[in-house]
Amino acid sequence: MQHFVWDRVDTLAEAAQHAARPGAAVVAGATTVSDLMKLGVLEPSRLVDITRIDGIDRIEETDDDIRFGALVRMADAAEHETLKIDYPALSEALWRAASPQLRNAARLGGNVLQRTRCPYFRDTDANCNKRKPGSGCSAIDGWAGMHAVLGTSEQCIALYPGDWAVALSAFDAEVEIIGPDGPRALPFEDLHRLPGDTPDEETTLGPAEIITAIRVAKTPRGRASTYHKVRDRESYAFAAASAAVAVELADDEVSDVRIALGGVATKPWRAREAEAALKGRRLTEDAAQRAGEAAFADAVTRQDNAWKVPLGIATVSEALMIAKARV
Amino acid sequence: MTHILSTPVNRIDGHDKVTGAATYAADFALADMTYGRLVTTAAARGRVTRIDTDAAMRVPGALHVLTHDNMPEIAALESFYAGGPLQSSFVPLTSTEIRYAGQPVALVVAETLEAAREAAARVAVTVEAEPANADIFAENAEAKPAPSPAPTDVGDADDVLSSAAVAIEADYTTPVQHHNPMELFSATAEWSEDDQLTLYTPSQWVKSVGFGVAAQLGIPAENVRVRSPYVGGAFGSKGSLSHHVTLTAIAARHVGRPVKLYVTRQQMYTVASFRPASQHTISLGAERDGTLTAFKHVQRAQTSRFDDVVHSGVATTTRMYRADAIHGHDELIPVDTNSPGFMRAPNEVPPMFAVESAVDELAEELGIDPVELRLKNDTDHDPVTGVPFSSRSLRQCLERGADLFGWHDRDAAIGSMRANDELIGYGVATATYPTMMMPSSARVRLDGEGRARVQVAAHDVGTGAYTAAAIVAAETLGLPVERIEVELGDSVLPAGPISGGSMTTAGMSSAIQKACRDVRDQVLAAAVAKDDGPLAGENVESLDVEDGVVRGSNGRSVSLPELVAAMPGGVAEVETGWHHPKLSQKKVDGFYQGNLAMAGPVTDSHAMFSFGAEFVEVRVNRHTRSIRVPRMVGVFAAGTIVNAKAAASQVEGGMIWGLSSALHEETVIDPATARFVNANVAEYLMPVNADIPEVTTEFVEEHDEIVNPLGIKGIGELGIVGTAAAVANAVRHATGVRLRSLPIRMEHLVTARQARR
Repeated sequence: MQHFVWDRVDTLAEAAQHAARPGAAVVAGATTVSDLMKLGVLEPSRLVDITRIDGIDRIEETDDDIRFGALVRMADAAEHETLKIDYPALSEALWRAASPQLRNAARLGGNVLQRTRCPYFRDTDANCNKRKPGSGCSAIDGWAGMHAVLGTSEQCIALYPGDWAVALSAFDAEVEIIGPDGPRALPFEDLHRLPGDTPDEETTLGPAEIITAIRVAKTPRGRASTYHKVRDRESYAFAAASAAVAVELADDEVSDVRIALGGVATKPWRAREAEAALKGRRLTEDAAQRAGEAAFADAVTRQDNAWKVPLGIATVSEALMIAKARV
Repeated sequence: MTHILSTPVNRIDGHDKVTGAATYAADFALADMTYGRLVTTAAARGRVTRIDTDAAMRVPGALHVLTHDNMPEIAALESFYAGGPLQSSFVPLTSTEIRYAGQPVALVVAETLEAAREAAARVAVTVEAEPANADIFAENAEAKPAPSPAPTDVGDADDVLSSAAVAIEADYTTPVQHHNPMELFSATAEWSEDDQLTLYTPSQWVKSVGFGVAAQLGIPAENVRVRSPYVGGAFGSKGSLSHHVTLTAIAARHVGRPVKLYVTRQQMYTVASFRPASQHTISLGAERDGTLTAFKHVQRAQTSRFDDVVHSGVATTTRMYRADAIHGHDELIPVDTNSPGFMRAPNEVPPMFAVESAVDELAEELGIDPVELRLKNDTDHDPVTGVPFSSRSLRQCLERGADLFGWHDRDAAIGSMRANDELIGYGVATATYPTMMMPSSARVRLDGEGRARVQVAAHDVGTGAYTAAAIVAAETLGLPVERIEVELGDSVLPAGPISGGSMTTAGMSSAIQKACRDVRDQVLAAAVAKDDGPLAGENVESLDVEDGVVRGSNGRSVSLPELVAAMPGGVAEVETGWHHPKLSQKKVDGFYQGNLAMAGPVTDSHAMFSFGAEFVEVRVNRHTRSIRVPRMVGVFAAGTIVNAKAAASQVEGGMIWGLSSALHEETVIDPATARFVNANVAEYLMPVNADIPEVTTEFVEEHDEIVNPLGIKGIGELGIVGTAAAVANAVRHATGVRLRSLPIRMEHLVTARQARR
């Protein structure tokens, strides 16, 4: 473990200034960064601790949206009354993530930037185009049991492991960012990149940009939503497959629906084909199953992870029925 | 007389453990301490061509880098399985050879843990790697006959099978699994000026570690003291001498200061042992009425390329049921890993998963209730040698377990039991564990205040051995358990059994009981010989001793401690040894030299085993096929239970680990590099509390004076044995899918369902 400077900043301006220095990494809960530093995967020379900055540690509601400060703890957001009642998918995605200890430490801004759990990314003796561009992909040559089936490339099949970003993808969300050129906002869907030929570039954030807030537009679909997380053990496990679903019915037919997938794709995955398959139809178990199948129509599987497709289909289908019951 | 034996007793060390007062091996803080760190290699096979330590030594605080270049010569010893003390016969750093991924190639010593870690990261190791394979299921992995045991044969199993009214045959597999004790491996080594070495290291056998390190280093055994007062989980992983211990001692000698070395969680997966992967072919033949006619079990299990590690399940499984013809034999598949080793019920967990799954398959084929089929083929004689079981209460376990679980409510039709969106399955499997007895000695001292001290170089690996020792002494001396002080886990104490093979309590307790009785007899002999004492002139045989009070024929009564107080020196002390009568004197002598020596499980007169029956309910989600287990019931028979409370915890914990083994645990092997992929506790799944259901356990009463005078059989491993098969059988009942490979996960069920569509 190499020596590094720990910068504690009090203002966003100060944070942006320090973040622009070479070798700097911005941290809040530091749950991912410290883990990867211990493994030798990340070697920042400077950690910019933004947890003392005022004003970005609150959840604020207006008539139109809910604004989550980047420093809100996962545990606190999970317990937020509005979320629990009006947007259960957003609450469930948080309390079903990680462990209580991690949820007490990790903040929302950092959470959506969580790095993959691909074992080869985490192992400096393995080849990984994401960690070391051009070095190859040990997962494609090796064990791919937990890897993505959607959004993969010839260079990378690493899974996006998080939960909350998947739930956000089922809503109209925006990311507020501050950077050297001042503040800007970005549709949440544009935050994460597909791996393509540059799997090391995971987001569209500039090198010195910092997420300050995430804004979710209010919608009646929120109440009829769920984050359905399927996994081998009951808690403290990454999703084998997950689906964030929000539905709106009119005259027993699906008037609007959002479906986003986790545990199966290289980024938080909006399943528009599945949504299209449902719109204007009655939400029956059969229709839900067909929507699931549409979501995975383009899946690229390997021997080790082919099971993610039938599991993903079942997850989507079950999530839709859970959401329907909440309409 | 008041009995404490077999009652529920709180752990005498419980307070120290929960308050942090208990000193585990790595808790000893020594003056002038330095810190060690292992450097391991990624390559799984090949050789080290160069180790550059310059950058490492430039780290401030770096003191030494031990590599094959500067490693002193040490004596070659045998592996545990060849009768030696070593985890594996291949000792890293004694050559440039690389035999497995994650093999230590250097040990760095520095002033601080941080500096050691930093310096270790800067050791530059150049290797010439060769292709390697760590997977016994790979196409190029080849089986060879196991050197021992000899195949088991009764009649001609193949012949009987070929003409059986009903016959089934299937292959079952189990993966590599790791112990993952909470307490990491560690070693702290301190040399005195007169060449005395003290090692603090978590161990299941301090005596063997002491003898082993002394032999490797060529110093007298009495110069090495090994201390391991508490162990934070071991499960077999701390049973043999792992190389990091000796390397730490060597490094400490070089730097002339104490060295403390932790093995990292990731390194825990490679520097010591693990449960080897295995494959089992089971063939069963039966009459239509369920009478077993043929039983055949061929086991092929992983070993390293340098040690023949045999965990013969066949020796146990062939004794499970009566059959006209029996065949069993073992094969080994060497691959490029470290030598595997024992992990809780090493010879039983994989083989019994296979056999008890197969018995269930036979029951289904015959249309006979799985409990009935097992009862029908129960036997009171060893099916292999014909000698009687010393005791066997399998029937009682099955019948009581079925009642407790509500087995009779089971609708045998597959998929017939449902609740909401869940398919319900009930499964049963039996458990067995051989009763082996290792010798033990013990020193007991009774003082005039009514306090007793018990000393044995046995170990409390979290099982409650301290409390068991206190209970046996309290019972025998008629003292309250609070008056007993127990010392364990130190090689200078009288030799005790290895904490393995579920042998601690039986061996240790037998020696403690004998020592306590000798102490009592010594006190009584002194009392009757004392002319002016209250028992002057009495005959020892006519004295009545109850609850620590001695009554003479003259009606006078006096407490044992009072008699001790009147003795010269005011204390009575005895050190004595116990061994099972079927164990040869040569073996007993070997035990006191640090060698393994066991009586049982099968002698010329008896077969000695414990038994159990486990019942599991599974719930399978109709859509995703995720598997949850809401309840388990286990009923066991293991002779005398010393501490009802700790025993319940022990078998409950065993069943919980069995559930984990069934549904979660698998060390994944990278096919390209022969490395373990998920070497961390985030991706190597074990259950969380929310996964653990209602677990109900009971012991049936069983008296067996053939195993040892107290009738103790041992319960350390029994609980885990049957769980995996019970889960597999329940999953079959719920879904119709028969899964013959562990772990059983929703991925397999969801794939099976897709295949049927």
